[in-house]
Amino acid sequence: MTNPVLLIVVPLLLAFLSVALKNNKKQLLFIAAVFNVVGVFIIENGSYVIGGFRAPYGINLNLDAYSHLAVLVINILFLLIITMSNEKTKEFSTVLLVALAGLNGMLLTGDLFNLFVFLEIVSITGYILSTESKKYKYSFNYLILGTIGSGLYLFGLIILYAIFGSLNMADISFKMLSYDTGKLVVPIFLMFIGLAVEAKLIPFNGWVRGVYGNANSLIGSLFASVYAGTILFVFGRVFGQVLVLSEYLVAVFVAIGVITLIAGEVAAFSKNKIREILLFSSIAQSGLVALLFVTGLIFPTVLQLLNNIITKAVMFTIAGKISDDADTDEADKLKGIFANNKIIGVSFTVSALSLIGLPLFYGFYSKINLLLGLFSKINYFVAAFILLATIIEGAYFIRLLVKLWTPGEEGKESNIKFVTDRKVEFDFNKKVIAFMLSLIILLAGISPSLVKTNLFAMNKLLNEENPSYMFELKGGM
Amino acid sequence: MKRIAVIILLGVLGFFIFSGIYSNEAFTEFGNVDLNNRVSNKFITKSVTDENDIVEFGKSSNLETGSANYVTSIVVNYRSFDTLGEVTVLFISSLGVALLLGTLGGKLTHKYRANFILRVGAKTIFPLIALTGIYIFIHGHLTPGGGFPGGSMIASAVLLLYLADENFRAKMSSFKLAESFAGSLYVLIGIFGLLTSGYFLNNFMNTGVIGDLFSAGIIPIVYVLVGLKVGSELTGIITDFLKVEVDE
Amino acid sequence: MIQYVSIVLMLIGIYGLLIDRNIIKIIVALNIFEVGLNIFIVSVGFVSGGVAPILTSVNSNSALIYVDPLPQALVLTSIVIGLGTTALALAIARKMYNAYNSLDLDEIGGMDND
Repeated sequence: MTNPVLLIVVPLLLAFLSVALKNNKKQLLFIAAVFNVVGVFIIENGSYVIGGFRAPYGINLNLDAYSHLAVLVINILFLLIITMSNEKTKEFSTVLLVALAGLNGMLLTGDLFNLFVFLEIVSITGYILSTESKKYKYSFNYLILGTIGSGLYLFGLIILYAIFGSLNMADISFKMLSYDTGKLVVPIFLMFIGLAVEAKLIPFNGWVRGVYGNANSLIGSLFASVYAGTILFVFGRVFGQVLVLSEYLVAVFVAIGVITLIAGEVAAFSKNKIREILLFSSIAQSGLVALLFVTGLIFPTVLQLLNNIITKAVMFTIAGKISDDADTDEADKLKGIFANNKIIGVSFTVSALSLIGLPLFYGFYSKINLLLGLFSKINYFVAAFILLATIIEGAYFIRLLVKLWTPGEEGKESNIKFVTDRKVEFDFNKKVIAFMLSLIILLAGISPSLVKTNLFAMNKLLNEENPSYMFELKGGM
Repeated sequence: MKRIAVIILLGVLGFFIFSGIYSNEAFTEFGNVDLNNRVSNKFITKSVTDENDIVEFGKSSNLETGSANYVTSIVVNYRSFDTLGEVTVLFISSLGVALLLGTLGGKLTHKYRANFILRVGAKTIFPLIALTGIYIFIHGHLTPGGGFPGGSMIASAVLLLYLADENFRAKMSSFKLAESFAGSLYVLIGIFGLLTSGYFLNNFMNTGVIGDLFSAGIIPIVYVLVGLKVGSELTGIITDFLKVEVDE
Repeated sequence: MIQYVSIVLMLIGIYGLLIDRNIIKIIVALNIFEVGLNIFIVSVGFVSGGVAPILTSVNSNSALIYVDPLPQALVLTSIVIGLGTTALALAIARKMYNAYNSLDLDEIGGMDND
């Protein structure tokens, strides 16, 4: 029996050691990332208590189909991203080790207060990573918003504790089933604000533009892919599975999600810098995923979330690398840049098309699933908004791709000699991994059954009538 | 104008919070809490894994947690994982401060020379404060206190030495090692528990009679480590803040 | 009563965050918010007539009425986390001062137009 707590404590141990072993920091980071990737394949589902005290009295880790899939994806993406941007990890090795521990902790923990602690750990690593761009104004902004957000989360959680007398997710979830949830609007809304700050939902996302818009290849892709993925998985856990929402709150949260989705896509449409387009697209995707979780669709939402974080990992790495080397990420100044970097260009294109949800790509499979899910819940209104958002998304991504592939002015002759003279050299790691990820996206798009059968954890997620979470409640206590 | 708008906004927010909290009869009024409705009930009788009717100071022995201080029993036994996270938060923020300010090369110099009373006084008081700090974290399971206050006291003693002696900083590098050592050992104790009993951070030592100094299993050990770690981290933060920009 | 005061303190903290343009004042406001939150957490565990949750030779028996020890443990964590973020915020504030030669967000905003 392998205990998933090792996914958290081994990176943590190496982080503590890395202070003493300064010269081998980078190797330690790599070792921890590889260890975790191997680890997620051998851990077994179940509820694991810490310190031998049974839940809800002690803290437990909850490894069910949902969190297993989450740690699997997040750890693999983490390893791939640090390998892709290998040259940038040295300075931040210890921070990244702690971040890895914290991210796994957030995904695994079965205790709402413990979640707060890990959320703080992850946010603090985020603040530190964001200072890399030397734009301290934005880091400060992020820190203040993040701290207030997690403070409000804690406030809401304590009110829940005063009412239910417990901090354990399964315990609270169980007690909420027989409680008039209309009376819990305030605490749940406060907790929602706390997670919404990190999940980039409007109006709590004032920090995103400054932080994402100036991030380099390593930090941008970590934020947009690993951090965003984790926080959204946690969001799905807390608001989709643990807390029982009243109808009024569901309506409010869905409205916030829809506004975020549309506003994000519209803002992305009006931008010219690659990273800004991507970051507003990330905001929009967060809104989409959050609203789908709140409506109670777990399986299609997870598919869409995977689509978002895998493609964003590729695109942010490429965009970050371009702006690191070329000193700009304005699409107009980078015309035809992919003509010289065909492999990277193909990877970027595949990712972008998959994010839009064109047929043949994985994104089509996830989007069709979520639309069908919404139709089955008779939620045509939301579905219409998602389709509208897809159209806007398609417009700006295709415009961006055209600019990056074809040299020369719009409407005039396109010739190789008009290719931008800004040189960007992609190293081997980036090429191989970006290409590999885009191959996976293609394969999963051509034959969706691969996803279903190969991601072993997912099959159970299909069974939404009985969310796996409640089984853990009975088994774990 | 902005002020008035913000005050109105906060008024609405305050009304929302107050009415939301206090209109709910399940939110027990201040002071009327019934512990039987809360998980803390089991913490008081220490009967999460065993069943105990009553725990008596100086008599009950070999309980699931041997700490006489209930808060400590929660911090280091029942919710020890939170404490590990908490230590990590301090670790990562002191590291962040070091990353941000560590590149500054200059050393803060006082505009004055520390006077005789301060120099001699600091050296006399330093061991006393440090000793009190150590006492506090060793007795964390018996008295109010523990690793965090104890560690902060040690850091305050170090700050005092700074004020008295500008050349003190040369000796600081060993604190980084102490920090790394204490943190790793904390995790290793947890892993040891995992290997011996299957639970991370399990209390693998016998607990004695409640109220004795050696009665709480791994609690004093963990608290000593936490105290060392907090002390060295806070010292590190102070050190980094005392650096100044070098004019070039 | 103290619970109301703690919520009001939190609101005062948020007021400061929204109004103040000075970085140090913003950090102070953040701390006021955190203090209010911490008082609220402790207040949730208070039991009238309860004793401090420590077994001693005087209060030697678990059958006595104790105040809830769990919020006290939580507030310890919350305080330490607050300390960590404050330290980091102050470090960033110093770097901001070095970079922009000002602690005022309005002035800083004018200098860095990217």
